[in-house]
Amino acid sequence: MPDVRIKSLPSPHGGKIVERVVRDPQMARKMMEKCSAVYDIKPTLFKGNPVRNVYREIMSICYGFFSPVEGSMTKADVESVLERRRLTSGWVFPYPLVFDVTEEDFKKLGVGAGDWLLLRLKGEPFAILEIDEVYEIVPGDIAVRTFGTPDRNPEVVKVPFDHKHTGYNIYCSLNPIVLAGKYTIINEPKIREPFTRFWYPPKKAREEFERRGWTTVIVHQTRNVPHTGHEALMKMSAYMGDIKPSDGIVVNAIIGAKRIGDFPDEAIVESHEMLHLAGYINPNRHMVTFTLWDMRYGNPIESLLHGIIRQNMGISFHMFGRDHAALGEYYDIYATQILWSKGIPSFGFDAPPYEVSGGLHIRPQNIAEFWYCPKCKEFAYSDNCTHKGIYSRYSGSFIRGLINEGLTPPPEIYRPEVYKVVVKWWQKFGYPFNNEKYLKEREERLEVDLPHMELPAHLKK
Amino acid sequence: MAKYFGIIVDEKRLAAIKGTALEEKVEPIFGGALKRLVLEVSDELGQKVIDSFSKARFDARGYIEETPAAFKKLVFKKIIETKSLGQEAMEMALKEIDTIKDEVAKEDMELPAPDIDISDVLEMQKNPVQKPV
Repeated sequence: MPDVRIKSLPSPHGGKIVERVVRDPQMARKMMEKCSAVYDIKPTLFKGNPVRNVYREIMSICYGFFSPVEGSMTKADVESVLERRRLTSGWVFPYPLVFDVTEEDFKKLGVGAGDWLLLRLKGEPFAILEIDEVYEIVPGDIAVRTFGTPDRNPEVVKVPFDHKHTGYNIYCSLNPIVLAGKYTIINEPKIREPFTRFWYPPKKAREEFERRGWTTVIVHQTRNVPHTGHEALMKMSAYMGDIKPSDGIVVNAIIGAKRIGDFPDEAIVESHEMLHLAGYINPNRHMVTFTLWDMRYGNPIESLLHGIIRQNMGISFHMFGRDHAALGEYYDIYATQILWSKGIPSFGFDAPPYEVSGGLHIRPQNIAEFWYCPKCKEFAYSDNCTHKGIYSRYSGSFIRGLINEGLTPPPEIYRPEVYKVVVKWWQKFGYPFNNEKYLKEREERLEVDLPHMELPAHLKK
Repeated sequence: MAKYFGIIVDEKRLAAIKGTALEEKVEPIFGGALKRLVLEVSDELGQKVIDSFSKARFDARGYIEETPAAFKKLVFKKIIETKSLGQEAMEMALKEIDTIKDEVAKEDMELPAPDIDISDVLEMQKNPVQKPV
């Protein structure tokens, strides 16, 4: 009889976790000596508003969330990713990740292939980019090819992407020169409050799972404060396991530049934490974590990145709902579930991502919908409950509308403690959602602080 | 395909429609925890509403969501004036959109936080289960 028990965490994507963080100050100084120029990291702006900060990509690469990617992609890798969602090494990867600079900055830096560039963040040394290649891109072309078009990807793309789409704007706003090569963090940033206790890069997440004795873990992707439907989804999905439900339920929030109107990241992580602090999910099987990434809202494309991040963290199962990581009506609302059930050939997947060469081990759980049904007297699963006209469907936009009108969401929608966390950050920021002021200020303070580190003399000039 | 515009009916709004035909159209949602009126509008009119506000969008249920609170107030006023949940209430509200411009702009900048006691959650947060690693 085959053993049906799952005895270990899935192996990292690409075989091993990338960790490119130098913690020895002497080694960091030696590496800085080799650098020929310094560059201050700037946010990517769209119409003057920050939509991306490459520092988040550097963090997620160097701490292994995006393993096996080790740096800013070469031209060949970018082409390979856009053509077939694979790195040149053959491993599945969905998005081009590049270190882009303006022509003016490139000329000022005077660097080329073979040079090392010191990257500074918030005025302090942060990381080194070992430049292997310099090439030009056409940002608009990268944007279109990243997300697909109705002609090229008719299975799931419904309408052409435009400037109402945040992810599309990120790629359109890239600078035209790319410096490709490996990143190494040489001055480890300190994560700011309240994010510190939720910082579990893949290596630490795996250590924590092992410490807790978990071998089956299911993840909930979030960019939202949890309503009771999310909570039901997490609890019910966690019945997936081996001979018993999953040992752990992990929430992994995506933290980064966001859309106006979303909840502040601080409220998102703390409201999820409140589910275990207030006893709705036992903290022994619930963990809140986050990944630094400026969401591209790429629905099926984004789901691949989510799969990679979470598999690298050691997670066995991934919940995918309708409209996963989506914005607007560009994709079929079930695009992610189509990818993870039969594949999307035009995006390079003749089969689901777990059945292709170079694919993922994480197993999807494609979920329909939970709604509140007063007749069932529960948060009912849509494939079970047939009480049409009685049940109420959840909608994040609807709930935000309630809050906007000054109405307290009832406990059928938000646990009272969860709503109080929203109020806590509302009081602090003067607004319950991301507005222009919040987004600008948070892009200045970021999620990290950097310890002071002296620059070598030759870089002070 | 029709689009929908929901207006939450609190006690004040319920009082305003008491005894009218509109009162009968109030529907309970979330097991009666909330009450609402629903306007059905054409796709085209729905799109006009979306185009009028930067954050507004259709949600997965086909509802027009994330419009300013000031706009919802205006639509409710027009529902009372027209005594109907038809297109005309929405059309009239859109015609008068300029009258709420300042209110909408203010709403984007600040919203007063509710005055509720959150000391219990602050207390719980003093002893988080997850500690910084």
